[in-house]
Amino acid sequence: MISVLAVAAALALSVAQWFIWVYAPVEETMGVVQKIFYIHLPLAWWAMMSFLLVFAASVMVIWRKDQRWDRIAGAACEAGVLFSGLALITGSLWGKPIWNVWWTWDPRLTTTLIMWFVYAAYLILRQAGIGGERGAVVRAALGIVAFLDVPLVFYSARKWRSIHPTVFGQPGGGLEPEMLSALLVSIFAVGLFWAALVTLRSRQLTQTAALRNIFLHQTR
Amino acid sequence: MLTPALRIASKDLRLSLRGAQGLAQTALLGLLLIFVFSLSRKPGDPVPALAAAAIFWLSSLFAQVLVFNGLYSLEENNGARLGLAMAPMPPQAVWLGKALAGITLLLVCQCVFALAVAAFLGQSVEGSPLVGVAAVVTVDVGLAALGSLMGALASGKSSRESLLTVVFFPLIIPVLLAGIRLLEGVLTAGEGASLDWLGMAAAFAAVFSAAAIVLFPHLYTGEE
Repeated sequence: MISVLAVAAALALSVAQWFIWVYAPVEETMGVVQKIFYIHLPLAWWAMMSFLLVFAASVMVIWRKDQRWDRIAGAACEAGVLFSGLALITGSLWGKPIWNVWWTWDPRLTTTLIMWFVYAAYLILRQAGIGGERGAVVRAALGIVAFLDVPLVFYSARKWRSIHPTVFGQPGGGLEPEMLSALLVSIFAVGLFWAALVTLRSRQLTQTAALRNIFLHQTR
Repeated sequence: MLTPALRIASKDLRLSLRGAQGLAQTALLGLLLIFVFSLSRKPGDPVPALAAAAIFWLSSLFAQVLVFNGLYSLEENNGARLGLAMAPMPPQAVWLGKALAGITLLLVCQCVFALAVAAFLGQSVEGSPLVGVAAVVTVDVGLAALGSLMGALASGKSSRESLLTVVFFPLIIPVLLAGIRLLEGVLTAGEGASLDWLGMAAAFAAVFSAAAIVLFPHLYTGEE
């Protein structure tokens, strides 16, 4: 399963490169630097999907008390922190030549950064073994609370100030059809890579837990 | 649920105010923060109302963390937490009781911080003081709702409270922004104290109170 996903992701990412560099036209005002957008947006999307998965898996931990969901939440959170970190870096690299700043107060930027802080802290707490015997439930509560915060963070940051372009919500469409195709292919390719990564990490965490159980059983 | 919650709140307040060490430490830390931030300007330079409001809320946040760590550590010895978890009452009463005690202690600290902001940062209230009090109380309800839930997360011997502040601070950003804007509006009699921000603070309080009511019984158990 993981091998199939990984190979499919590699192929899809290669195809996406062709769409980005050959098929999609160069943007008139921004020039070639706009190409970073085809990586930046899928990373941000799948980061948000990771956080949604952390939330869903956390609900399942509370509901079903099954450790498997805790490991899925952990794997999704790792991918989410990685992807949102990369989305922030690529966004910064894109923003510097276009907005002339590395960082600005924008709802989406701010929301992504705050989510990065929250979920990075979640990973640190995971590693620190917070909660002891209640660990999985404590982590699940954090996963739920963190996701409930997303709309509040976004709304409050938007009220503070915004300069971000709207890509899909604009009347008349914000993108050329070729650019939209390249973007969708890139989202799909990064999505496959994300699925492979989350599945792999989830399995690794399961194996770590199994080894730990065997070790604890032998030492008793 | 209200009667046991009020009993827990009154017990916690009595224990916290005995000797008043915890409260004095909390108020002192907030005062120190306001004083240290006042050094960021040259003597005589006015501090903008927005910066003063942010400093007030930062002091309140640190105070809030200390208050709730103190409240939840009251039951950490001699298995008292197990006793409270097994008491014949809804587990949420513990969350509500601690939140009520916490908000009371926080408001006491904020009275001191308000005077310090006026003295060290040279601020005065140009807008309606009543709106200011309403704004501070609404934001505090949100802080107490989440703070009481976080206190339950940090309870137990294997937890480290210092780590939880790392996750708590980014979580409260929405209500912090609301608090800063509302207070700025009250200090300058400007547009900041709008109903939108008050609504945001109330929404934060409602969302995290609802989350706490659902999650608290799973978190506050006898397990270590």
